[in-house]
Amino acid sequence: MKPISQLVQQKGAIQDRSIYWDDDIYQKEMKEIFARCWLFLTHDAVIPKEGDYQVTTMGEDNVIVARQKDGSVKAFLNSCTHRGNYVCFSEGGHTRSFVCPYHGWSFGIDGALNDVPLEEQAYFNDIDREALGLQQIRVESYKGFLFGTFDNEAPSLVSYLGGMAWYLDSFMDVPGGVELIGPPMKSILNCNWKNPSENFIGDGYHVGWAHASALEIAGGALASMKGLNDYSPDSGIQVTVPEGHGFGAIWDAAAALHPGPPGVAYQKWLDKRSPAVEKIVGKTRTKFYNSHWNATIFPNCSFLYGTNTFKVWQPRGPRQIEVFTWTLVEKEMPEELKQMIHSDNMLTFGTAGILESDDGENFENCTHSNRGYSTRQGKLYLGMGRGLERTDSEMPGLVSDGWVNEMSTRGMYRRWAELMEGRSWSDLSTTADLMTKK
Amino acid sequence: MNTQQKQQVEGRAVDHLTHFEIERFLIGEARALDEERYHEWLDKMITKDIIYQLPTEEVRYRRDKKVIGTAQTTYLYNDSYEVLAMRVARFDTGFLWAEDPPIRIRRYITNIDAMWSDTADEVDVWSNFMVYRSRGQRDDSIMYGRRKDRLRKVEGSWRLAARVITLDQRVILDKNVHCFF
Repeated sequence: MKPISQLVQQKGAIQDRSIYWDDDIYQKEMKEIFARCWLFLTHDAVIPKEGDYQVTTMGEDNVIVARQKDGSVKAFLNSCTHRGNYVCFSEGGHTRSFVCPYHGWSFGIDGALNDVPLEEQAYFNDIDREALGLQQIRVESYKGFLFGTFDNEAPSLVSYLGGMAWYLDSFMDVPGGVELIGPPMKSILNCNWKNPSENFIGDGYHVGWAHASALEIAGGALASMKGLNDYSPDSGIQVTVPEGHGFGAIWDAAAALHPGPPGVAYQKWLDKRSPAVEKIVGKTRTKFYNSHWNATIFPNCSFLYGTNTFKVWQPRGPRQIEVFTWTLVEKEMPEELKQMIHSDNMLTFGTAGILESDDGENFENCTHSNRGYSTRQGKLYLGMGRGLERTDSEMPGLVSDGWVNEMSTRGMYRRWAELMEGRSWSDLSTTADLMTKK
Repeated sequence: MNTQQKQQVEGRAVDHLTHFEIERFLIGEARALDEERYHEWLDKMITKDIIYQLPTEEVRYRRDKKVIGTAQTTYLYNDSYEVLAMRVARFDTGFLWAEDPPIRIRRYITNIDAMWSDTADEVDVWSNFMVYRSRGQRDDSIMYGRRKDRLRKVEGSWRLAARVITLDQRVILDKNVHCFF
């Protein structure tokens, strides 16, 4: 493996192609990124009551996330502490216990080992059940979005989000808050996990070209982008925060990818809600509330606010991911509008979606071209908008005019490199440091 | 009431001739889709009030059917005629890079089981399918599943009025299901 300083160069603008292919780099990512960062698990609203649970993965580690008696949420490894078998084979549901099908060890919804068959007759009561609970994982919530980390040294979730939290509040702090609708759609893409993460964090460039066919038929505010003939940098902004998260926003285009009646109903909702939202989050963030976002929370949680698709790219080796897709809605939206948005999300960004299917092909092929040894020795280029980033008196992190830009993508790779160097949390860049230096 | 109508008892298997017509229809539909004759499908094979759905379901324990939290049915397809027409229009734009060179798709329709429905001149038809797709030079996939269709006789010809598709895979093991089943 080459030194990290060669894998990502020029402040994130140059990537060595091996980072999308090599097994040793992938294994290092599992250790330095997926075993350390806060990873998205599920949303509060998906498991509201005691005993409700979801099974997901953090990196490739299988994890159960369960609502507790006291209303809190615990997460633990889905792997029996006896011989390692999974203790849950359902992907979610409601239960009082998780029973291993191999020898019948029974764990509570808190992960504690409650029952061991033949405890008296075969173990002669010589078993420390307390020490044999399922391995606990640290869980924290940001406005109902539940994240977990394997790293007990990691800063709090809100510190990890850094400057991104301020932006997220633009839509998470609406009256009643937001929630996710599931069950998530699940599908496989044969690509490296970074290909979709970088696409969502900052690839406004591809929209007009890759999705030309969808823009042509769907019409709406983005249709003029078709074929990349028409674009003005005044139409949006990009944001990156040192924690590696970022997004691009297209001003006043939240509902742009909802063609037809759902778009009309959603726009009406946004117009009606904006005055109340402005009272809570102020003028700048109300502008974000009415804009369309393409965003990634580092490393692998991406969403499109407006289109309201919310995704996790679960790594499955260096060349495969499993995609989970939920729908993001405001809690106080009428049920009918929620359902329209949910169906529209699948029509655009489901696996049968008219936009997702374009992306899937591109992600897979961007990974697979690196199969060639000589191809893989080369580098890739993310230089768009270099040198134009700036700090702002109100908006945290770095901002840059224009949503067709690659600033936030460079930010993601800068963070990737910092983590891959194995730096301690205190040596990693933060929004707080950036704003002090300003 | 003529003999033909008398035989239309809800839940009872259709007669030989009707079964033959339905089988011909489903095979003809599959070939039209294989050959990308999407406009013919829209114009002559489906009804304007069609409901075309592909719901997905969580893999759950048999005993645990409880709907929890915000869960509702997640449809990969939940299309009206207008939405299907929009998907077809996308094929016509000339900008659908993912399907150029064209994908070869072969649909195999089996286990056709047709019953009279609760409505005159409408039948409920169950069928299993296998859809083979080949892309580029060596990329391919197979999907298996079941369809429950409602067919309606309109001016002497059968048309598809509703389709609910069940895919057996929970995690879609292909990069998309961007094809009609």
